[in-house]
Amino acid sequence: MLKFGKVGNLIFISLTYLFLWVPILVLFVFSFNTEGYPSPWSGFTWRWYEELIDSIYLWKAFGNSLIVALCSTLISCLMGVFLIFYAAQGGKEGARIGKYLGLFYGNMVIPETVLAVSLLGFFSLLSIPLGLATLVVAHTVLGLGFVVPIVYARFLELDYRLTEASLVLGATPTQTFFKVTLPLLMPSLITSALLVFIISFDDFILTYFCAGSSVQTLSLYILSMIRSGVSPVVNALSAVLLFISSLLVMIFFHLKTRSRIF
Amino acid sequence: MRSIKLERMKKVINGGLIINDIELYIPAGKFFALLGPSGCGKTTLLRLIAGLETADAGKIYLGNEDITDVSIHERPVNIVFQNYALFPHLDVFDNVAYSLKLKKLPKIVIEQKVFKILEAFHLENHIYKPTSQLSGGQQQRVALARAIVNEPDVLLLDEPLAALDFKLRERMLIELIDLQDKLKTTFVYVTHDQFEALTVADQMAIMNHKGEIEQTGTPKEIYEFPHSSFVAKFVGTTNILSGTLHKLDTPDPEIKIPDLGSFKLYIPQKKSWMYEGCDILISIRPEKIDISKTEFQNFSNTLKGTVQSIVYHGRSTQYNVLLKNHTRLQVFEQNEEHFPQEVIDYDNEVNLYWQKENVVILEK
Amino acid sequence: MRFPRPPPSERAFSIGIPAMIWQVLFFYIPLLFIIVSSVVKVSETGAIKGFTFTMVAHFFTPTYLKVIFSSILLALSNVVICFCIAYPLAYFMAFTGKRFKNTLLFLLLIPFWTNFLLHVYAWFYVLENQGFLNNMLIHLGLIKQPLVLLNSIFSIMIMMVYYYLPFMVLPIYSSLERFNANLIEASLDLGATWFQTFRRIILPLTMRGVRAGFFLVYIPSFGEFAIPELMGGDKQMFVGNVVSQYILAEGTGSLGAAFTVVSCAILLATAIFFYWLMDRYVYVKVR
Repeated sequence: MLKFGKVGNLIFISLTYLFLWVPILVLFVFSFNTEGYPSPWSGFTWRWYEELIDSIYLWKAFGNSLIVALCSTLISCLMGVFLIFYAAQGGKEGARIGKYLGLFYGNMVIPETVLAVSLLGFFSLLSIPLGLATLVVAHTVLGLGFVVPIVYARFLELDYRLTEASLVLGATPTQTFFKVTLPLLMPSLITSALLVFIISFDDFILTYFCAGSSVQTLSLYILSMIRSGVSPVVNALSAVLLFISSLLVMIFFHLKTRSRIF
Repeated sequence: MRSIKLERMKKVINGGLIINDIELYIPAGKFFALLGPSGCGKTTLLRLIAGLETADAGKIYLGNEDITDVSIHERPVNIVFQNYALFPHLDVFDNVAYSLKLKKLPKIVIEQKVFKILEAFHLENHIYKPTSQLSGGQQQRVALARAIVNEPDVLLLDEPLAALDFKLRERMLIELIDLQDKLKTTFVYVTHDQFEALTVADQMAIMNHKGEIEQTGTPKEIYEFPHSSFVAKFVGTTNILSGTLHKLDTPDPEIKIPDLGSFKLYIPQKKSWMYEGCDILISIRPEKIDISKTEFQNFSNTLKGTVQSIVYHGRSTQYNVLLKNHTRLQVFEQNEEHFPQEVIDYDNEVNLYWQKENVVILEK
Repeated sequence: MRFPRPPPSERAFSIGIPAMIWQVLFFYIPLLFIIVSSVVKVSETGAIKGFTFTMVAHFFTPTYLKVIFSSILLALSNVVICFCIAYPLAYFMAFTGKRFKNTLLFLLLIPFWTNFLLHVYAWFYVLENQGFLNNMLIHLGLIKQPLVLLNSIFSIMIMMVYYYLPFMVLPIYSSLERFNANLIEASLDLGATWFQTFRRIILPLTMRGVRAGFFLVYIPSFGEFAIPELMGGDKQMFVGNVVSQYILAEGTGSLGAAFTVVSCAILLATAIFFYWLMDRYVYVKVR
């Protein structure tokens, strides 16, 4: 049942997606341009990709982003799982925890800029040098703000009769959690892990404030490139990153079709 | 209240021909039932009338008005959905008042109408409750109230009682009949339950699996004089026997069934497809057959058999009797006596009797 | 959360604590810290001398309030534009065929999961004076002089919508996917037009998704500074720009903190207001 008639809808959808994709496609196409970008097309070349492979600093930055993303994803997911485990214990503590979990929704009402500023102040107050470690800490906070709400929401929707069945059959609450609850939560856990990874990897604001002068991440590197001038190497980079994110989205889809996540 | 006429309706869904060239006339002000097996297309037909689907071919008339191209919200036709489709964020009052508020009627008028109808449906105590707090039967009545409060020309009901338990269903059927009697709105009731259809309908139509209308008529006509074996078997239970037609143009035509013998027939009107020796099917309703261990003389047809199974239904008893040619006949006997004079038991040899006038010759 | 009460020996007490500690330590304490540091006078030795509201008051002047106001306006317009595009898109996706739906979702998510700065870069050079768009238009003979598209509110808005659109689409889509289509049919059947049905039935019942989308777009948009700076040049001043200037410069740290606190407080106040407004719409306006 469509609102503006079939033709109107299709035009609307096409325009929207065109809007979303044209810049990316332009970037992608011109990554093969001999003359670079934005000069008009003058020939096909792999040159910029070769340069890409040779840019040490870029790879260093890429590596840093990767390390930070992986660490923060891992830590936030682990902590999140344990938190849910605690909440799953039931009884008085479990019920109380439910109220405290509201704390993790604070991330949604505070702009990242504010968080970045407060963390910066906090670190300088404690004289903690800025670097990879502080970045990981910051990104983990960000990550928790996603993992906990998403997984907890799914947890609340779980059919409690499944856990009752497990307990009746003789499993302890701990065993029940790891054999029944956790597998059921796995899809949403993986979704949030993917989400946190991407958000951390692509993060800009938090990194801008909390990385200090010694550490370069991919986002900061690209920023400096944008500021300093054009290089078609960035086009090549975006093509590569586009490819990687397509892969990630496909993984996400594979999971989504298997079971409900949102 | 106006009549509905469907002319040469055709509807294809996902490549499948659901409705195939249907002609149907639903008289004004009557309670009309559309009966058919699940998946036959009756709900699709209902949705076509409501405007929720558009036909691929054909026309729909409301009275004399061609409403084929009229949009859903402009048709004075309302539908009660199978799952009620009550608006969860509105309470009972707002649900029922929905259509009236759209018309921007004055608040007092709306209140009057809504209160009146909710009272008639015994929902006075639930007016401001959220719909989720009501029982199934109450929700159904709210859905009904919502659909009739703005006095539509036609009310469509899509298996409205399917989710209710048996006793409640029986009660609602009677209430629906009374309602239609009072409002005189044209009701179109779609169901796969033949008991419901027979109970409520002034007129009914049977649809088969292929999306065609097999027969239309009053419940009595359809039950007593089915045209085809599909109708005979779908509406009520029946025994169908096949044989050959003999002595066609004499006052005593008969059907000859192999291994069983010849049985007298009553042919009210000779049909064009009948000829001497042709294959025919006959339908004998189980309640039209008498069963007894003693022999009687004053029946036109009689048959012997052995009792295979007995099912006690309270009001009646159902016997399955095995015949000589290894087919079975179903017989219903009303349990008229507290202390029956004759007790029929398993493996008893019994006599079955019926009058030739109670047999229907089927066309196909 | 309906586990029966387990035997005492099994209560795993401490394992959930790390997360709570982390959150409090690295989220709430820092927040508390900057709130405190914006009202506290600090001597050279670092000792606390007393309370002062001068720093906070410093920012309640027209110039700074104007910056805050522009940020709110920016965030709000972003929300409105995103909503107008996202809702029909999500609606179309939710009620259309399965294969098409997945393709659309797929195509929506890939740009979403690509580095944000690359998108800025892409748009930057599309809209630039010697950029792709101008080159194309001149090449096609439609214009003689390149259009000045960058460094304007227009380019900022485009980039904002571009980046935040999926944040609005996904929650609304999630809400619409579970929507009972019968309700729409019932409303139309009872005489409501499409628009009335949308206003009275569809929108109220998908409000949860709309609210989520609102927050996912409104809050971050307010604090944005990369987009305004890169796409808007130096002409546009928003909260993010001011904050980054103060924080990263020498000696103005606590001023920066104060401004952050002030603008964040105002932001939260407006957010609460809008939340209340949306609530009211569902429970009062619809009647």
